[in-house]
Amino acid sequence: MSLLNNLEHPTDARIWRGDLPVYHRYTAGVAGEKFLRALKDQGAVYGTRCPTCGYVYVPARLYCERDATHLDDSTWAPVGPAGALVSFSAVWVDLDGKRLDAPQWVGLVRLKGASSVLMHYLQTPTGALHAGMTVQAVLKPANERVGSITDIAYFKPL
Amino acid sequence: MSMRRVAVVGAGMTKFVRRSQETGRELSWEAVSKALESCEMSLDQMDCVVMGSAPDAFDGVHMKAEWLSDGAGAWGKPYMRGYVGGGTGVFAPAQGWYHIASGLFDTCLVVCEERMSPTQPHPQAAFNSIFDNFTERALGPNLLWIFALEMNAYMNRYGLKKEDIALVSVKNKRNAADHPASLLGDPNITVQDVLNSEVLAWPVQRLDVSPITDGAVALVLAAEPVARRVTPKPVWIEGVGWCLDTAYWTNRDLSYPTYVEEAARMAYKMAGIKEPRKEIHIAEPYDPFDYKELHHLEGLMLFGKGQAPEATARGVTQRTGDLPVCPSGGLLGVGNPIAAAGLMKIAELFWQLRGEAGKRQVPGDPRRGVAQAWGDLMQVGTVVVMGK
Ligand SMILES: [Zn+2]
Repeated sequence: MSLLNNLEHPTDARIWRGDLPVYHRYTAGVAGEKFLRALKDQGAVYGTRCPTCGYVYVPARLYCERDATHLDDSTWAPVGPAGALVSFSAVWVDLDGKRLDAPQWVGLVRLKGASSVLMHYLQTPTGALHAGMTVQAVLKPANERVGSITDIAYFKPL
Repeated sequence: MSMRRVAVVGAGMTKFVRRSQETGRELSWEAVSKALESCEMSLDQMDCVVMGSAPDAFDGVHMKAEWLSDGAGAWGKPYMRGYVGGGTGVFAPAQGWYHIASGLFDTCLVVCEERMSPTQPHPQAAFNSIFDNFTERALGPNLLWIFALEMNAYMNRYGLKKEDIALVSVKNKRNAADHPASLLGDPNITVQDVLNSEVLAWPVQRLDVSPITDGAVALVLAAEPVARRVTPKPVWIEGVGWCLDTAYWTNRDLSYPTYVEEAARMAYKMAGIKEPRKEIHIAEPYDPFDYKELHHLEGLMLFGKGQAPEATARGVTQRTGDLPVCPSGGLLGVGNPIAAAGLMKIAELFWQLRGEAGKRQVPGDPRRGVAQAWGDLMQVGTVVVMGK
């Protein structure tokens, strides 16, 4: 390879800058829209229970990936707001690899009644966390909810 | 099912570097040239080309296989791209295998390229859109969240300590010191170095992770009659397998890669392997993080669930151990240009089984090896078994 095959700095070689000048508008989908509206309006977290295999999806889904069953209105039911902590981490770097001043706590939660697992923020813990402990969703006040997964502010250890 | 035997007859790779001046096309061309040279074949003897490369966003070129095609030697030939994220490097040779096993072609050039250095300010941002738009992206996650949560789940399930896992990083970075193409080989690294490195997302620390890397690897595949003409030492592709778990990564068993087990079962069945631990002499599991080597060794059924760390501590997986694991130095040591890193593992088995691995050579005339990669939305397993 060339003499510059292990460049110390990006600008050691002739470069030019470029980007992909597009942005996207994603929909939450048929089930996602209904799930987010329920979270905003009712402060409730909904799942769908597959009548074929019994798996409970949270957030609610339109179909079961395991057997392609349509998860219609009759399969919707609220879950949580408490659940079991599956795993957790204290994150020290941001998306650009920059160091954070204080760690951001994140975790995986299996809400009571759910088969699937939700990733979310954890309240900064005052004691030790452990897998299997009970945590509970803390919702934002109704007038601050916008119909986003962040309408759940965080999960707090109980 | 009647399928033709397929061998690897040539291999070549570029140096793995932090930042190459070469474009991805130039890297591809260099790897192709070396692979062809290694078996004294020419580009016009290649019937078709398979290109493996992971996210377009790394090179910043949409549909990058088309862009890379000239360097990959695809001009005027049947050409296709393999892409299953990080699993690509072991999937591309499986695609090359079925091009030939089916009887459609007699030779196939398999090329894998990745350049992560163009992506600024950090390649991690290119992964932002793999997260579910409405349940995850709003949280502003980065890729480390997945690995930290998975590593912690694995440690928690089996009561593992960081020290148990850091041994993998030490082994691989030391092995890589003997690889002429390696980026991060270090003959003197210790467990303490790993434990003292910067915490990125607990329990993941800087030296638990493979580096951002540029590089390319190429293989020449041939049907049996051609292979026997070209070389006295063909290395046969004896089995291939791949399998996908749910795309919702949170819903997988985070302490055991079931999808790797399924992929391995498919490949072992094809290779006629009944007792993998006894019948496989070298393993090159995917090791972008040190805990993943352990995870994958268990998924490959080379060790029982939760038992790979203890085997590592006993030295079983050292180059001179009973089951050498990542004698190349792996992604942790040689480097991790995503798709190229997986194909590097296949190239390593090729060199090891021919007795051509130089200072890295595993003793005892190894006859059979397995390579594995992992990727997509962290839920695909790809496996190739090779033997001589
Ligand atoms: Zn179902």
